[in-house]
Amino acid sequence: MELLQYDFVQRGLLAGVLIALSSSLVGVFLILRRLAFLGAGLSHFAFGGVALAVLLGVEPFLFSGILTLGVANLIELLRRKRRIGGDVSLAIVFSGGVALAVVLLSLSEGFREDVFSYLFGNVLIVSPYELYLSTGVFLITCAFLLLNFKSLLLMSFNEEMAKVRGIKVMVLNHLFVSLASLVIIVSIKAVGIILASSFAVIPAAAGIAVAKSLRGSLILSALISVLSTVSGILISLHFDLAPGGSIVMVMIAAFTLVVVFKRLI
Amino acid sequence: MREVVRVENLSFSYAGGVKVLDSVSFSIYEGEFLGIIGPNGAGKTTLIKLMLGLLEGFEGKIYLFGKELKKFKEWSRVGYVPQRVAIDRFHPVSVGELLTSVVGHERRLKDLVDFLHMEEMLSRRFTELSGGQQQLVLLGMALSSEPQLLILDEPTAGLDIHSQEHIMELLRELSQNTGKSVVMVSHNLGALFSNADRILAIDRTLRYEGSVQEAESILAHLFGLHRE
Repeated sequence: MELLQYDFVQRGLLAGVLIALSSSLVGVFLILRRLAFLGAGLSHFAFGGVALAVLLGVEPFLFSGILTLGVANLIELLRRKRRIGGDVSLAIVFSGGVALAVVLLSLSEGFREDVFSYLFGNVLIVSPYELYLSTGVFLITCAFLLLNFKSLLLMSFNEEMAKVRGIKVMVLNHLFVSLASLVIIVSIKAVGIILASSFAVIPAAAGIAVAKSLRGSLILSALISVLSTVSGILISLHFDLAPGGSIVMVMIAAFTLVVVFKRLI
Repeated sequence: MREVVRVENLSFSYAGGVKVLDSVSFSIYEGEFLGIIGPNGAGKTTLIKLMLGLLEGFEGKIYLFGKELKKFKEWSRVGYVPQRVAIDRFHPVSVGELLTSVVGHERRLKDLVDFLHMEEMLSRRFTELSGGQQQLVLLGMALSSEPQLLILDEPTAGLDIHSQEHIMELLRELSQNTGKSVVMVSHNLGALFSNADRILAIDRTLRYEGSVQEAESILAHLFGLHRE
């Protein structure tokens, strides 16, 4: 536990907890709106954005964040206009981002290591700037969900009923996917592009499977996410393992335990 | 009687498709129970979705409470029960959460729960309820804002006979005792003929508008329909 005295560990734990809370809360609504794959699609698209940013010499998080935000809204627009199925557009975005990254990587060997560091992430090397970003996204997430909880609940239940009640469904949908893309971008730092979506999906799936209400699902999801993240980071420090992988393995273990426990009672 | 809805020369086509509705005109009045019937694909659900502002790009005019649909903002005066709620069977939302998400006051929530006898359902997940109980919850949500116009799309579809009777009894009570206008799309002709004041029969265009008694006698000629 001596390691807890180090600044980088404290910063990593704090960032991890903030990202875990944001991701798990947004994740519940992502799953209920059948957008569980959105996280994977957007994070892989961000891979292309990061590669392009590194090649251009601009700040990768901000650059890929703006690109990802735009693509998330484009996906929502296509879904709303029913021009193309949500799963199809996500599959295109997913493979498009990876393809762009692969092409850019083949152009130059010099920046490969920079780009690869985003693939697996490391919550223990977050900078103070990235901690501020995580805090900002956490505060935005809390404010958005608190202000729009009833509307989001109704929209996840039936969009037509929500529209008839005068809820601005289109605007809220775009704001929600924008928030989801911000959450995905900051979670890339903790677990990397490949595992970013697991932060949003696994704890939320456990909460939804067990709780008797939506509020219960949100609380349980947040609890599982925070406990898994802290445990995962501590395990990774103790056994000198990659923190991203350790966190996700603990999340999967927690999900399995919760679901099995629910079946037994 | 005051006019609640007026539809004038309403025509609608889905993008690139054939006309689903062609020059449909009718009115709905205060306190009236209107039944809308017609074969599958006749445009019944499309018609009520247009009235609710859920579909855009129509020709003609729709007025709600005297205001043109585009300018109408008082949606709390309208309650809607959709044909079915296609939610994931794992959706955790409880009945209590659904009702509190739409009911403004605690007192109103209690009245609604008492009226629909939903006390024991409040802490249960919506997905755990039977079809009849789910319809009651949807009806409760639609009634939460104390609407003057209630629009229901096949509320008795797939329900057993007891649940059907219970829902129809509630709708009749709402129409007769509270002065609400009830518009119900259904294939359940027996239920509609026993409860509605007026029948609208559509098959892309308006085929019949008038009394229940007359509708019963001429429907066989219109659609080959018979009362069950």
